[in-house]
Amino acid sequence: MASQPLISSADFRKELQKRGGDTVSRCYQCATCSSVCQLAPDDAPFPRQQMLHAQWGLADRLAADPAVWLCHQCNDCTERCPRDAKPGDVMQTVRSLAVENLATPRFMGRLVGKASMTWPLLLGLPFVFWVLVLYAINGLQVTLDPEKGLVYDQFVPHWLIYIVFFSTTGAAGLAAMLSGLKFWKLIDNGKRRAGSFISSTISVLWEIAIHKRFDKCGATAGRKWGHFMLVWGFVGAAAASGLIIVAMYIMHEELPLPIMHPFKWVGNIGAVLLVFGGVMVLGNRLQENSQAGKATAFDNYFLGVVLTVIATGVLIEIGRFLFDPGLACWLYIIHLTAVLSLFATFPYSKFAHILYRTLAMVHERMTAKQ
Amino acid sequence: MNASTPQTLLVVGAGISGVTAALEAAEAGQEVILVESEASVGGRVIRNHHYFPKMCPPTCGMEINIQRLEHNPRVKVMTSTRVTQATRTDSGWQVRLTQAARTINERCTACGECSKVCKATVPDPHNANMNEVSAVRLPHPAAWPAHFILDRDACSEEDLRAIVSACKYNAVDLDATEKEDTVAVSAVIIATGWHPYPVENLDQFGAGKIADVIANVQMERLAAESGPTAGKILRPSNGEAPKSVAFVQCAGSRDVNHLPYCSGICCLASLKQAIYVKEQLPECEVTMYYIDRRAPGRNEDLLTRVAGMEGVKLTKGKVGKVEAESDGSLSLRLEDVEAGRLLTASADLVVLATGMVPHLKDGKLPFELKLDDDGFGLDDPDAKIFIAGVSRRPEDVASSVRDATGAAAKAMVASLSQQRSA
Repeated sequence: MASQPLISSADFRKELQKRGGDTVSRCYQCATCSSVCQLAPDDAPFPRQQMLHAQWGLADRLAADPAVWLCHQCNDCTERCPRDAKPGDVMQTVRSLAVENLATPRFMGRLVGKASMTWPLLLGLPFVFWVLVLYAINGLQVTLDPEKGLVYDQFVPHWLIYIVFFSTTGAAGLAAMLSGLKFWKLIDNGKRRAGSFISSTISVLWEIAIHKRFDKCGATAGRKWGHFMLVWGFVGAAAASGLIIVAMYIMHEELPLPIMHPFKWVGNIGAVLLVFGGVMVLGNRLQENSQAGKATAFDNYFLGVVLTVIATGVLIEIGRFLFDPGLACWLYIIHLTAVLSLFATFPYSKFAHILYRTLAMVHERMTAKQ
Repeated sequence: MNASTPQTLLVVGAGISGVTAALEAAEAGQEVILVESEASVGGRVIRNHHYFPKMCPPTCGMEINIQRLEHNPRVKVMTSTRVTQATRTDSGWQVRLTQAARTINERCTACGECSKVCKATVPDPHNANMNEVSAVRLPHPAAWPAHFILDRDACSEEDLRAIVSACKYNAVDLDATEKEDTVAVSAVIIATGWHPYPVENLDQFGAGKIADVIANVQMERLAAESGPTAGKILRPSNGEAPKSVAFVQCAGSRDVNHLPYCSGICCLASLKQAIYVKEQLPECEVTMYYIDRRAPGRNEDLLTRVAGMEGVKLTKGKVGKVEAESDGSLSLRLEDVEAGRLLTASADLVVLATGMVPHLKDGKLPFELKLDDDGFGLDDPDAKIFIAGVSRRPEDVASSVRDATGAAAKAMVASLSQQRSA
């Protein structure tokens, strides 16, 4: 066990109370939760033990516990909990605190962790950044191409996109890697890892690709498809971005690509998945007595940014033809703002579950008895 | 208006608490009316095979109580009777007592000739509906008053005619009607007791769907000589002796989705039933799955005794799910908390340790009663209403007896204070 605590147990308990894990104190350790969990491995059940550690404020144990991330918040536990202690919500809050405590640098973790207060800053800073930079470059003036009408790269030049996003994703990626390494070392306590990291990772990525674990959820089985479409929608959008670069520099095609171009279709299929997935996820969240659990600022910030990216992404694509060019350009600025906020906060927001959950699943696979 | 004096005490319910309260008051000189909705006295205790922790049959103690009732002219026992109306008066209460139509009256000698000619059967309520019994019968072997009862709706016209002609004592009166009586009483003791939490609500354990998942109250009857299997502990599905029995503690108790409170007796009842199993089937593996082992006071000796028995295991962990396997056995899913592992345990017979629901929760009594959030009654000295036994809180037989004695004393003081001021 690490001798230096990441956070004092009193502070941890206080934060847990504040951020939606207040029901933890009702738990009396009956273990109904673990027995109804479809995802818990037989030799390391959760969330009963994690509830106890959360009550005691053992932040270190929880930060070093892969089980915290193996939980997919099915909420089968919450549905059956005889004390209404909502283990599903508590685990989600524990994860948000783990993201904050593992963050590199720590202050970024705290900044995003306190999204209930800092969200205007998290969204406002990138917005001000884009407005100032674009004002410096083109005075926020839209020039229309005589043949093609509104062309976004004439408003926001590609070199600017590259500089901003390559540097942001580079920094976020580096931070994520450092945090990921810290986490990978922390969870290596007790069980011996065996087998190859690469092949375990590939197996885990396949499991994620088909959303195998979501299938086991009882109470919130409906959550699978929303998440599934969002994941694959983002994969489509990312692929489209890569393909555009291929189109520009390898195939030497002119932008914007014609609407029927196959690369465009990759992006469009992604967009359709994102829209449907986004609507489903939002619907689950807004449902009265949501089985999806209590939405905290940490959840809402991430979901809000994702939905903004999707909505503005679709609007700017059709807005080029339908909207006033001025409006379309402002939507483009909002889109770039949301994307920048999403990328810059990747290791510190709920987005980081991609990193930690995947690592926890790889660890689980490598330590599983053959 | 009945001729009873204003200083008469009304006791509602003739289980162990009501009988005790009535006797203690009567033996102290108080006039008492004891009403019971069932046809005989004894309530829930008479359905037990043995009491814990002494492991003796309840019929023994009830026999002494019945002797006391029979010999005490101050207690008037009215069975098959309900309180159907209650009005507050200056001196206490005026209550209307409604006695169900007595199709078999007190001339009945319990000779049993009528049972022999009646073809109709009904599920036996005394045995938790586990067997069929004649529609005309003694409620149970130790019933007092020892008169037969007739489930008239279950009988054909032919059955009824046969029953009437079989009776040599002219005790069957098919034209009998409900009887009403209005009496003035100085104070009221409520001892209406409890019913077991309905296992049908416990879907996760398959209760009501899987034959070999039974409630603790059914286990009492399986172990009792007067029960559906003549005292043999057998699996309801195939009539074979179980090789393993699992007790699921807190089945619907300490659970906000069911009963939020602890009934305080289920751990001890399961420990007691573990003894029934081990005495009858020494080879049988018994496991009790619990959240906490609650055996306060002298009952701890029972816990120690059972925990030390060979082939008895106590495992900490609430069972989350019970399912029927294709080979006929049952699988139980739980976390063994002390080992920190998930288990899928197997058993031939699962006993759900269900808790006690106070009848007062149903709100059927015509008194204006003060109840707590769980439906248990609270004493109301101003209204001269006192609560005894499990109507007041979940408790065991010994506590109910002490409690009822206290309630008798309180009710008598309330009656006296009325006398003085009058």
